[in-house]
Amino acid sequence: MGSMLGDWPSFDPHNFSQLRPTDPSNPSKMTPATYHPTHNRTLPPPDQVITTEAKNILLRNFYERAEEKLRPKRAASENLIPEHGCKQPRASTSC
Amino acid sequence: MHSHRNPFAYSSRITDWDFHIKVSLIEVKFVAFLFSYLQLRPNSAQPMLDVPIYGRIATLELFRPHGEAQDFLFIATERYKFCVLQWDAETSELITRAMGDVSDRIGRPTDNGQIGIIDPDCRLIGLHLYDGLFKVIPFDNKGQLKEAFNIRLEELQVLDIKFLYGCSKPTIVVLYQDNKDARHVKTYEVALKDKDFVEGPWSQNNLDNGADLLIPVPPPLCGVLIIGEETIVYCSANAFKAIPIRPSITRAYGRVDADGSRYLLGDHSGLLHLLVITHEKEKVTGLKIELLGETAIASTISYLDNAVVYIGSSYGDSQLIKLNLQPDAKGSYVEVLESYVNLGPIVDFCVVDLERQGQGQVVTCSGAYKDGSLRIVRNGIGINEQASVELQGIKGMWSLRSSTDDPFDTFLVVSFISETRILAMNLEDELEETEIEGFCSQVQTLFCHYAVHNQLVQVTSSCVRLVSSTTREFRTEWNAPSGYSINVATANATQVLLATGGGHLVYLEIGDGVLKEVKHTQMEYEISCLDINPIDILLVMCPWRWSSLNFLLKLDTGELTDRKKVSLGTQPITLRTFSSKNVTHVFAASDRPTVIYSSNKKLLYSNVNLKEVSHMCPFNSAAFPDSLAIAKEGELTIGTIDDIQKLHIRTIPLGEHARRICHQEQSRTFAICSLKNQSSAEETETHFIRLLDDQSFEFISTYQLDPFEYGCSILSCSFSDDINVYYCVGTAYVLPEENEPTKGRILVFMVEEGKLQLITEKETKGAVYSLNAFNGKLLAAINQKIQLYKWMLRDDGSHELQSECGHHGHILALYVQTRGDFIVVGDLMKSISLLIYKHEEGAIEERARDYNANWMSAVEILDDDIYLGAENNFNLFTVRKNSEGATDEERGRLEVVGEYHLGEFVNRFRHGSLVMRLPDSDVGQIPTVIFGTVNGVIGVIASLRHEQYVFLEKLQSNLRKVIKGVGGLSHEQWRSFNNEKKTVDAKNFLDGDLIESFLDLSRSRMDEIAKAMGVSVEELCKRVEELTRLH
Repeated sequence: MGSMLGDWPSFDPHNFSQLRPTDPSNPSKMTPATYHPTHNRTLPPPDQVITTEAKNILLRNFYERAEEKLRPKRAASENLIPEHGCKQPRASTSC
Repeated sequence: MHSHRNPFAYSSRITDWDFHIKVSLIEVKFVAFLFSYLQLRPNSAQPMLDVPIYGRIATLELFRPHGEAQDFLFIATERYKFCVLQWDAETSELITRAMGDVSDRIGRPTDNGQIGIIDPDCRLIGLHLYDGLFKVIPFDNKGQLKEAFNIRLEELQVLDIKFLYGCSKPTIVVLYQDNKDARHVKTYEVALKDKDFVEGPWSQNNLDNGADLLIPVPPPLCGVLIIGEETIVYCSANAFKAIPIRPSITRAYGRVDADGSRYLLGDHSGLLHLLVITHEKEKVTGLKIELLGETAIASTISYLDNAVVYIGSSYGDSQLIKLNLQPDAKGSYVEVLESYVNLGPIVDFCVVDLERQGQGQVVTCSGAYKDGSLRIVRNGIGINEQASVELQGIKGMWSLRSSTDDPFDTFLVVSFISETRILAMNLEDELEETEIEGFCSQVQTLFCHYAVHNQLVQVTSSCVRLVSSTTREFRTEWNAPSGYSINVATANATQVLLATGGGHLVYLEIGDGVLKEVKHTQMEYEISCLDINPIDILLVMCPWRWSSLNFLLKLDTGELTDRKKVSLGTQPITLRTFSSKNVTHVFAASDRPTVIYSSNKKLLYSNVNLKEVSHMCPFNSAAFPDSLAIAKEGELTIGTIDDIQKLHIRTIPLGEHARRICHQEQSRTFAICSLKNQSSAEETETHFIRLLDDQSFEFISTYQLDPFEYGCSILSCSFSDDINVYYCVGTAYVLPEENEPTKGRILVFMVEEGKLQLITEKETKGAVYSLNAFNGKLLAAINQKIQLYKWMLRDDGSHELQSECGHHGHILALYVQTRGDFIVVGDLMKSISLLIYKHEEGAIEERARDYNANWMSAVEILDDDIYLGAENNFNLFTVRKNSEGATDEERGRLEVVGEYHLGEFVNRFRHGSLVMRLPDSDVGQIPTVIFGTVNGVIGVIASLRHEQYVFLEKLQSNLRKVIKGVGGLSHEQWRSFNNEKKTVDAKNFLDGDLIESFLDLSRSRMDEIAKAMGVSVEELCKRVEELTRLH
């Protein structure tokens, strides 16, 4: 009879294949060895020492908005050649 | 003596720090648990490596960056450091790939804990550390981390954040609470280039009021599960499914299938459920939930393989369980395979000497709720006595078999100065005196062994005798050359090696009724000891100092390495090997009996809990299997030995939560304050005072407190003019409508015929947080007040507590310790103050206080002038009374002398020690305080002399240069005192764990440190080893 739960996944059938329950009143107390690194690779490569950018969110937004304000102007003057003709007269009238 | 008046402290763990991660590997792939890594094998899962992390781990995530063949581990600490670790399987080392500081100068730390998550497509690491901010550490396309930046997060009360799977842009889902306490989820895309959020694909308002946990579902289904207290919801851009559940708080989840269709959910009462997402053609059709059974209350759940699941618990022992396909008789699918000791949370403990051997044991209130227990923690190895006879003057002992192939020993040969007696097991399994006729019984025996062909060998000073073990008759003998007597001898089943005066060494071979002298040589020196048994460990004694040992560890190569020297008492030592669970150990019999064993390629020695042992031999008889025969103080004892390990922990499961414990020597009982949750329709708690026998730990009497009444403090004491000993219990009525209790009681009990008898009670105007015996009176801390009660005899002969005087001026006086007329109070938020009781005026006055705003969790008095405190930012500090101050202002100020970040929340300090204090040893003079923490750490704080402190501080700073912090984390920063207001370098505290790790270093590293210190390695080892004897 199949279980209503379905089968449990298996990655390697070998794992735990011989594991038998131990006395629950006698929990495992095996203490593994403590790791004490003495090698030099506990420090990362110099470019992987990460910090947070110094600019705070308000200033960042401020500068970004300032840049955004600049950008369309530049885009308009440099790239939007077809519109150039129709914008030019309005600009001149407003002066 | 300076040692009792100094602020120099040394802190060292006794049990494991919980904030180490335990690491192991399956091939080159990490398997993640929250705190633990286990090694998987066909027959077990055991922790492999204990990795100290210089920080309290806030988040731990595994991920696989693009182009990497192996998973990396991301760790962020509560003090805003992070690191990315890689395991190098070739060198078995942890390598730091990246690290950094993610703190912000301004920001309100989150209330609901720190969140650290990694995008499933490895585009960024997301951190929620401060309210209103989401920190992003982006990856570049080579998997390298780039500079972090913050994004404003509108939701202020965040409960959980997860990354969604299968999104073209990294997308988070945020579970939050609004200002009307309603809960919602919302999604955001992280626009890495713009460093901002973009509104996400969907949101869902008005979820379960208890929704607290998000589980992202991997492809092909994607979406998220929202786990509430009464419903579980599946949510995605195009589907919404919900099911009701039995009310419960889900504490942990573990994914079962790679496709994310099944999840294990663990709730607050330890019930394990299976949640199934039903689906058709990659479309979610519904949810199903199934109860699997009960486990420890889970903090983390990891499906390992083949139906085996790791349940990590912070409220009880962690477990390895198997999920069976069919339920057992009780309907449970859960089978516990193994459990792993966890002492946390240690809420209270006491130090007692139950066996009256001059050595302390710690009895803790451990675990919470249904997993509550008492744990008896004892250092050293115990002998469980099974039989003993009085026998004076034993000079040696050997066990013998009656035939060569008998698995058990029959005879016990006991040698005295001028005779040899034989004991044997009779048919009634009793030890009785017998005779081996062929043995020489009128002289001292130097050595005995069984031999091939059912024979026994006896070596005396004049001859070697071979005797039949079946008929017990003499067969042959070899005599020492005339004029020479045999000094030492050894033998196995086929060979005898002996040495006589004049440096003669003789080698004999044993045949059937034959002793054949094969070789005879003469050495230049007298021979003092011999052994011809196969060895793992070779122990060589210094001939000029019998009390010390040089250890030489012999490895497979036959090389002699790891020389160590340790003092094992002041008397001559005899060494014998014995086996326990198929491993050979060495028993050193002396006035400080010790078992020497190897573990993790290190030689360890563990005290045996006996006062003095002159001789020992293994005695494995049918009636007493795996036993030892031990000669001590005019007595021969047969007993079994505990498992060979340094620390022994016995668990007394209570099924309820013990919160206070106290021992009473006179009645040989423990009393505890405990509470039990009734998991009936309404969740109700009942509080008890329980009396336990101090040997059997059985409940022998119970007093149930009133509804809403909590046991807050417990004390065993006696009063002036009364010979009786009482248990005093302080309580509080914790009513739901009150912020602070306004009513409590002091109950005075006496143990009569094993029963708790209520003698008298006294109502109080608040919670009785602490009780102390004080000058034959009772000192209570009641809300803001310290109150002294007299024990008054009424006219009718009964007693009552009568208020004498008190002292106001605390926020909440939570922890109180006294010494003479001095009272040290640990306040909820006003650090430590010192009060004095004035007898003449019958008044309590404040003498001095520490003006820092520390929120205290424990206090203890180290000596007349120095007081120790622990506070809720996991720091320890010491303050000093300044009696010689020039002004009132100076005298009224407790000067902070020591500061240290322990990284653990201390719930209790107690004076005492877990090791036998021998008056002859230096260590015996060092005063110690034991502490217990929420994470289940038991540690010791020792007061050092100034000279000792200066030396060890130098050693510590040298060790920092050699032993690197994992992940590049700095030890110095980790130990710096840190709270919301300040961070300052640790002072007048040393890290015992770091100092003792000197002994684990390779010889060349030790040399390096010794050179820097300007002392010999031997001297350094000796001094550090002495410190290890403190615990």
